[in-house]
Amino acid sequence: MTETVHNLLLGFSVALSPPVLLYAFVGCVVGTIVGVLPGVGPLAGISLLLPATFGLDATKAIVMLAGIYYGAMYGGSTTSILMRIPGEAASVMTCIDGYAMARKGRAGAALAIAAVGSYVAGTVSVVALMFLAPPLASFALRFGPPEYFALLILGLLVLAYMSSGSMVKALAMATLGLLLGMIGIDQMTGYFRFAYGVVELGDGIGVVPVAVGLFGLSEILATAGQETPPAVIKPTLRELLPSRQEWKDANWPIWRGTVLGFLIGIIPGSAHIISSFVSYAVERRLARRPEEFGQGAVAGVAGPESANNSATSGAFVPMLALVPSGPIPAVMLAAMMVHGVSPGPLLIKQQPELFWGFIASMYVGNVVLLILNLPLVGVFVNLLRVPYPLLYPGILVFCILGVYAVNSSVVDVWIMLVMGLVGYLLRKLEFEPAPIVLGVILAPMIEMALRQSLAMSDGQYAIFLTRPIATTLLAVGVLLVLLSLKSLITHGFDWRERMAMAEKGEEL
Amino acid sequence: MRRARVLVGVVALAVVAGIAGAQESYPTRPITLVAPFPPGGVADLTARPVGASLEKILKTPVGVVNKTGAAGAVGMQYVATSRPDGYTLLLALSSISIIPEADKIFGRPPAFTVEQFAPIALVSADPTVLVVRAESPWKTAREFIEDAQKRPGQISYSSSGVYGTLHMAMALLEHAANVKLRHVPYAGAGPALTAILGGHVDALASGPAVVLPHLKAGKLRALAGWGEARVASLPDVPTFKELGYPDAEFYIWAGVFAGKGTPEPILTRLRDAMRQVVADPDFKGAMDKLETPIVFKQGEEFQRFFDADARRLAAGVRRVGRIETK
Amino acid sequence: MLTTNRAAAVALGVLAVVVLFESRKLPLGSLHNPGPAYMPVLLALALLVFAILVGAYGGASRGLGAVGWSEWRHAAAILGTCAFAAIALERLGYRLTMAIALGFLIGVIERQGVFVTLTLAVALAAGSYLLFDTLLRVPLPRGPFGL
Repeated sequence: MTETVHNLLLGFSVALSPPVLLYAFVGCVVGTIVGVLPGVGPLAGISLLLPATFGLDATKAIVMLAGIYYGAMYGGSTTSILMRIPGEAASVMTCIDGYAMARKGRAGAALAIAAVGSYVAGTVSVVALMFLAPPLASFALRFGPPEYFALLILGLLVLAYMSSGSMVKALAMATLGLLLGMIGIDQMTGYFRFAYGVVELGDGIGVVPVAVGLFGLSEILATAGQETPPAVIKPTLRELLPSRQEWKDANWPIWRGTVLGFLIGIIPGSAHIISSFVSYAVERRLARRPEEFGQGAVAGVAGPESANNSATSGAFVPMLALVPSGPIPAVMLAAMMVHGVSPGPLLIKQQPELFWGFIASMYVGNVVLLILNLPLVGVFVNLLRVPYPLLYPGILVFCILGVYAVNSSVVDVWIMLVMGLVGYLLRKLEFEPAPIVLGVILAPMIEMALRQSLAMSDGQYAIFLTRPIATTLLAVGVLLVLLSLKSLITHGFDWRERMAMAEKGEEL
Repeated sequence: MRRARVLVGVVALAVVAGIAGAQESYPTRPITLVAPFPPGGVADLTARPVGASLEKILKTPVGVVNKTGAAGAVGMQYVATSRPDGYTLLLALSSISIIPEADKIFGRPPAFTVEQFAPIALVSADPTVLVVRAESPWKTAREFIEDAQKRPGQISYSSSGVYGTLHMAMALLEHAANVKLRHVPYAGAGPALTAILGGHVDALASGPAVVLPHLKAGKLRALAGWGEARVASLPDVPTFKELGYPDAEFYIWAGVFAGKGTPEPILTRLRDAMRQVVADPDFKGAMDKLETPIVFKQGEEFQRFFDADARRLAAGVRRVGRIETK
Repeated sequence: MLTTNRAAAVALGVLAVVVLFESRKLPLGSLHNPGPAYMPVLLALALLVFAILVGAYGGASRGLGAVGWSEWRHAAAILGTCAFAAIALERLGYRLTMAIALGFLIGVIERQGVFVTLTLAVALAAGSYLLFDTLLRVPLPRGPFGL
């Protein structure tokens, strides 16, 4: 314990030294700018900006990358709330309630809650990272394909809580999303599926163009041509900050989101993306007035935003055990390699200043971003004052820029276009697009995990029962399903049906 | 009549001078070096020092662009179909020989063919090494192979993807040693490494640089290498050739290519430039940091290496065939 | 009456059938060794079931005509601009493409004045390029004339 504190002090002495601090600051600013681009999240941010760090020494480069990483996350929530354009795939849930809050004039409050929630989550998870990294890392390593499959099946259950309307419609959208996720090269056999000769579709249609198209572009398509342009919101200074009630409402969701996100994040792979979806579902399940979700529930912003942030910290846990556990840690590890730091289990012993400086700079980065973002709330909200006919072409340009920049691929822009049209039609037909995004993310992962598990066990399904973690997760899933079925039978109607019946004007 | 001939001669001279002049002044605009893999991967990390050195030598900006997708096919197809004017170059890995073969056995029109490229130079050629977990019972490659022969299809290995470099290396071994192993594909070299570290598979064929830290820390054990010679950083690890399996030869190599049809003078200029690149101390330093030894081959030598490698891999892919499901 | 639910059900059902049709080229495999067609077929069947359920039990839905489609021309124009941008981005380069796209949207569709259109189009195109390509080294395509 004292050794950790001592190391932490060493780390802070590195992180707070003026040149390093400067780079952390620059990283945060740059990250925020890049993160504001629709679709460009932390991973794309550090991938794009990796070359910019090549002239620096290892510590400064890593610290700057950490700043970019967090900045991109904070920047991502800004566009989600203000314009219903997901700043990154994981911000899709923030688009729903955050934008609803903005429409009600509470944009400033939403932004502030997102910033504070992200800060709390980021800080707490960094602390957890420090103390829990080694034991958690070896736990995380035990997640193989069967465990992954069980976890993702649990993730599917989340879909039940994602929409306010009819359950059947939500499931149909989820299935559509899952199908879209099937496009691409089948990783297990090498067959091209549904790609029709377009090589760029080999890796699938990508969740970024889908999310930006379904949410952002469709919003523009639906709103731009309205005869009465959307009312320009002119908030006063007092309205910029959340009210007492809103802070109270945000409190528990922030804490829950932090813990949940961290736990999901430590699992190697790309599971951390679903943290915001899971948090949304949990918050909705626990809320006293679930019908508020979708209309601007504070918990619907606070929970997912916190979960998102702490999941990305959690994703660093396996990385610090020097196992390349996903695309983000892989880029960070590569950055280290380029700068001559050989990542490995001995890194902590051999280069303590780098390791602890990195941890400390994550903390510093969070503080810097909070200080940066809270005053910026006013600036961003003023952007909303620009008349819509002038505003949306600019937004469109940024959408195209963001989607293109992720992969330098025009095919992504086309996908965004098509999904924008789909999203527009779905709005008209009163379907919700959020389950599609979750489906696109989950489908390839679930299928691969299942087939890998079967490859490992030579076709025996029993593998799911012989591995303790997988069995536990599956049991939890079965339990959840049984519980919700039980409430259907015993209580008669749940709140969803009550809403639907109220709409029809019937009586309970 | 005579004046006409003089005129023709002058015009011809002017044209030739013009062409020669235009090519002597190559490069006149920025060059794009396409890395067909995402940032942080082997191709990307090799491309950047190459790009930086080329920029210094050719005195024109060389931008590295990541065009990722389909295990490198997207970036490679992009360069194959770009104008062969020497301004779009490719840093390819050995998968350039694998992908067209894989397309062929699936009966689909190939995304590109190897003939669409003009090789410039090879910069690195890491042989893969066979690693197993430290706790596993096999202490030498021979024990591993004997065990695999006794229990066909029971020993599992991870790879970066079906028909990927790590898969093909193992496939070549399976053929050379007449063993059958159980293949569990993962989505990339990173997850494949995580899988063996977590104990979910028994073995992995990997580039030496990424497993070196784990070997030093005692978590993994290297049994043998697929190279012609032993890996410099692993002098105690024998090669499969030494052990009597010369067909198990596989390198994850990186080389610079231009499009076929690029004018000869430009190709020569590029080859000269690459010669200077590998002598550049900055480049050497960068490759040192990546723990990747520079293996430089050019011209005839590179062509021979490339052809032999392509033949080996094509045969290997055809042997693997389509993974038919039972 | 063609309600929104029934229209959606038909669309989803057609999509499911198309997927099933396209999947016949891929090997199906077995329960113990699923092939590339396994999941798509399963999902397509599920989608078919849900499509039918949506059509029958989707809940309250309006007639197709009752949905406001008034802005479709506008939306089509925006989509067209996006398509133009996708086609032209790597041929004309980022700045030129975006300037044209912005000019079209602001000037022609939104009918703002010439001065406003030109300033905004050029400023946004050049400004975003400066910020992201030059300062942040995010590669954006260059077209003829180095634009």
